[in-house]
Amino acid sequence: MFGRSLHDERRALIGWSIGLAATIVLELALYPTVRDNDMSALLDSYPESVKQLFGLTDFATGTGYVRAELFSFVLPLMVVVFGVLWGSDAVAGEEDRGTIDLLLANPISRRRVVGEKAAAVVAGLGLVSTVMAAALVLASSAFSADVPVARLGAASLMAFALAAVFAILGLALGAATGKRGLARGVGAALAISAYLLSALGPLASWLEPWRVASPWYHALGVDPLGHGVPVGHLALLVLSAGVLTVGAAEAFDRRDLGI
Amino acid sequence: MSAIDIDHVSKHYRTGAGIDDVTLSVEHGEVFGFLGPNGAGKSTTIRLVMDLIRPDAGRIRILGREVRRGGRAVRRRLGYLPGELALYEQLTGGQMLDHLASLREGRGTGRSVGDLAERLHLDLGRPIRELSRGNKQKVGLIQAFMGDPEVIILDEPTSGLDPLMQREIRSLMRESTAEGAAVFLSSHALNEVSEVADRVAIIRAGSLVATEAVEGLRSRAVRRIEVRTTTPIPEDQLAALPGASLVASSGNHATIDITGSMDLIVKVLARFEVLELVAGEPDLEQIFLSYYEDQRRETADEA
Repeated sequence: MFGRSLHDERRALIGWSIGLAATIVLELALYPTVRDNDMSALLDSYPESVKQLFGLTDFATGTGYVRAELFSFVLPLMVVVFGVLWGSDAVAGEEDRGTIDLLLANPISRRRVVGEKAAAVVAGLGLVSTVMAAALVLASSAFSADVPVARLGAASLMAFALAAVFAILGLALGAATGKRGLARGVGAALAISAYLLSALGPLASWLEPWRVASPWYHALGVDPLGHGVPVGHLALLVLSAGVLTVGAAEAFDRRDLGI
Repeated sequence: MSAIDIDHVSKHYRTGAGIDDVTLSVEHGEVFGFLGPNGAGKSTTIRLVMDLIRPDAGRIRILGREVRRGGRAVRRRLGYLPGELALYEQLTGGQMLDHLASLREGRGTGRSVGDLAERLHLDLGRPIRELSRGNKQKVGLIQAFMGDPEVIILDEPTSGLDPLMQREIRSLMRESTAEGAAVFLSSHALNEVSEVADRVAIIRAGSLVATEAVEGLRSRAVRRIEVRTTTPIPEDQLAALPGASLVASSGNHATIDITGSMDLIVKVLARFEVLELVAGEPDLEQIFLSYYEDQRRETADEA
């Protein structure tokens, strides 16, 4: 079932990998131009809130550029969207299309269905994230952005963990309700709200304490590109994904299916 | 120990559908027909047996094990064809069946996918999305029979199949029960069930109306006969027949409902020159009504 799920998504995996790599190459190809023109005047003209929202802080160094242009929003968003789309379909899709009846006629438990589907989604996201990291390393050196390889790996790892959390959230919503569309919509809405919470938190003092509730804060708000892998935050994301998987299995095991 | 044991099971839905206090058991070596009109609760019952939905009350056991707790062990020895069959459209029939076989661990013995596909004339190499409804149904049937399961649960198995294939499926069921398997066969068509089943349970609006041997059912079956003769048949000759009731008669044309054996009516008609004789399929609804009338009479008698 694990292999089948990955195999069925092979086209999506290839497509998203190409999309990510193309985005990375295009963005980094612009880096030498941006570096050689002084953008600080332009940056100063933006209001603080805009800069905060889009992470527009420092274009002069390669690390600052990659952080602002790629990791503040675009790359993690792409992996998260892929994760939510796949996760919300992984279990609920079988139920929606009616194939769950045949699947569960076999000697496998519902918990195992959830477990293998979750493992397949996480493995697929791992593949896509590995392609992303490789493209970053190659493009960063090709366009002399000179971001340390370990830091690119750290940021990619955190984007992967972030996407895994939201993918499993989508899977859990689908497993608990059997409704693919609802899982996709609610999953995507939660992912976007969590992003806004993390990005806008520093701007409003009342919002600031709530940032810790956002997976985006733990994944990228703590700046893995500047400081390396934040082990505690990574552990928290892994734990969240684990808890969501167990919750999904539990909910799926208790429900009436396919009504 | 029964192959399937459904014990006072109820499942209610807010829409009013569902089943109410259903009790029946399917034994090894028999085809058990589960008969009722669409929406009567057949698929609900079967999905309860498959542990896809959970009962509000009652217990369901397969091969002596409770389906909720012992489900995994039980499903190793079980074949199931869903009423609303959905397959992995992007795969070929062969790939789909290989996938299901791999999930079934240790079901390498018995009837193989290849043998069954040959018998049902199914091309395993074609993508499922390109298959006709009947050929998709064959994929579903093959996975239900492959590896010779001890318990076979079929929800409307012959839908979409031509009469020749329907016969092939019936002989597959017969062979399986001869080898000791139990077949639980749901259908809305009386003739499909009566040709293969040993016993039949009839469900209507969520409740079991009766469980009995097929012979008993036949004796209750009402057939409508239309006959055209060269000379009119006197009405009193028809009205006098036990089990017959004259529905309409005009000139040389008569419509008669016959319950049970056709023997007497044929003997009456033999005295006339028959130009045309049409006997309809036994009417399931009529059988239900006859059960209801029995029940009503019994209730009236008690009062």
